[in-house]
Amino acid sequence: MNLIENVKMALASIWANKMRSFLTMLGIIIGISSVIAVVSLGQGGQNTITGEFEKIGANSVIINVDSNNAESSDYITFEDVNQLKEKIEYIRYATPVIQISGWASTGTKTKAALVFGGSADLYQIENSDLLYGRYFNEIEYEEGKAVAVIDSSTAKRLFRMEDVTGMTLDVGPKTAQKSVTIVGVVKSEYDMFADMASDDYIPAVVYMPATTVSYIFSLEEVTSRVIVMADSKENVESAGNLAKILLENRHGNRGRDVYKAENMMKQLDQINTVLGIFTTFVAAVAAISLVVGGVGVMNIMLVSVTERTREIGIRKAIGARTGHIMIQFLTESVIISCIGGILGLIFGVAGAYGLGRIAGISPHVSPGTVIIAILFSSAVGIFFGIYPARKAANLDPIEALRYE
Amino acid sequence: MIRIENVTKVYKTGTIRLTALNDISLHIGPGEFVAVMGPSGCGKSTLLNILGCLDRMSSGHYILNGQDVSTLGGNELARIRNKEIGFIFQSFNLLPRMTVLENVELPMVYAGVSARERRERALEALSKVDLSERIRHRPTEISGGQKQRVAIARAIVNNPSIILADEPTGNLDTKATEEIMKIIQKLNNEGATILMVTHEPDVARFSKRIIRMRDGCIIDDRPVQSRTIL
Repeated sequence: MNLIENVKMALASIWANKMRSFLTMLGIIIGISSVIAVVSLGQGGQNTITGEFEKIGANSVIINVDSNNAESSDYITFEDVNQLKEKIEYIRYATPVIQISGWASTGTKTKAALVFGGSADLYQIENSDLLYGRYFNEIEYEEGKAVAVIDSSTAKRLFRMEDVTGMTLDVGPKTAQKSVTIVGVVKSEYDMFADMASDDYIPAVVYMPATTVSYIFSLEEVTSRVIVMADSKENVESAGNLAKILLENRHGNRGRDVYKAENMMKQLDQINTVLGIFTTFVAAVAAISLVVGGVGVMNIMLVSVTERTREIGIRKAIGARTGHIMIQFLTESVIISCIGGILGLIFGVAGAYGLGRIAGISPHVSPGTVIIAILFSSAVGIFFGIYPARKAANLDPIEALRYE
Repeated sequence: MIRIENVTKVYKTGTIRLTALNDISLHIGPGEFVAVMGPSGCGKSTLLNILGCLDRMSSGHYILNGQDVSTLGGNELARIRNKEIGFIFQSFNLLPRMTVLENVELPMVYAGVSARERRERALEALSKVDLSERIRHRPTEISGGQKQRVAIARAIVNNPSIILADEPTGNLDTKATEEIMKIIQKLNNEGATILMVTHEPDVARFSKRIIRMRDGCIIDDRPVQSRTIL
């Protein structure tokens, strides 16, 4: 008696009770599909977040001046930033980050603007896609040239076209705007929102050399935030610590702990841990329905054993051993669970993509998830099938033959 | 061939003890055709179940082909039922979801015979019972006489030492009864050993030897004088 014959026999029996078999499978289908959907979406979410972080730069460290206990002399000068890059060999890129609200006008149109100031390295650290023209360079940063880079959606909204390199834009506080030349257009990070909100609420996004921003907005050449990028993942931590020490030396404020270095990778790990716990929790709740499904399989197998008592008697009379009967019924419950598992997998993946589309997450179905789902549903079939199968196998042949 | 010695079977339900077989000894040689008769409750079905290794005796010995089977375990008894014994039941006991051919193949499935050999031997057995058409039909689609012929084919397909028939014609009309008895006689002529339980004297007269039972004992055992031969 080999496996193929057992499977054929089990399929025939399942097919003979199509409706009942399907309803029994439904429990498994619901269980497996919800676990698959949750896990795939969770992993997809993690991937999306990891991707976002890596885009910003997994190697980067943000150094903030703790405004609560900082004196004005503690703020980081642009020269400090140059020194960070020159003196610390782990640091490949470094930029001050200034962020300020202002206004941008084309002569015909005026809009609120979000102005970012940085060094030429801002382009490397932001890792933005340049669509047209170029980014501002080091000389323009050093000399505080009146140049700017804007994003594509700002270009569209202000100029009604994307390639606006060479055009001029007036940027600054409401009353004192200065004319700057647009040298490049980067891909908008906020395209998704651009379609949703009305035009007016979205500010224009302008990137300029930090020196130029300071000049236009009449600010001192200092910043409360610096982003540095290490040359490799291994050196991220050292780069942050060395940068802190160098800044403390230059400002003579060691011991007051004014500079806070935040490693992006660490944050990512924390977020992923939280998300992982959340996914596991929801998956565990979904897995309970799988147990309910398993009980359903056991229930229907017990009914099946009772219904087929006479068949079992006949089989035993013509030479079926205990093991034969046991395997026959076990195969049946495993096949019911497995088909349920496979259908659940299909529905789960479909559901994950459906929900993912609504939630804006692209789900990740890993081969591991698929294998575990199939193995787990088989395990459910075995676990909940053993009791009915034993019951069938241990029936007394004479009693079973007499059963009407 | 078959020898039972001092076999007793006692059923216990609570405090009630019921002696179904009381110290029975019996010998059946190869090629015999024995009919067991008696009123209901006389123990003839119990005897058949014990001879068929479906039931265990309370005391005594059962020697089948020189092997003492009274000491064997469940799986070894199953093997003996499979290889040494062919059952024919009053209610046919075919599996309704399988085709005629598959029903006949089933004992060989449990014997571990390859699919090709199974098919060949099943067809051969079916031709011995004169059933070569409708073999891909299900048991519900054929007549009672045909069903019993399928059951006979199933019983002989593993070439058993003995065929045990429990009222094989109990559910059949006169015409079908004659058909079935003709086949059983033919098998006996070809060398098969047969033990048949019946309460119809007409049917018993097809056999060569009649054993009468009452209250768990054999009260009469003699050859058939005027045997009906079809």
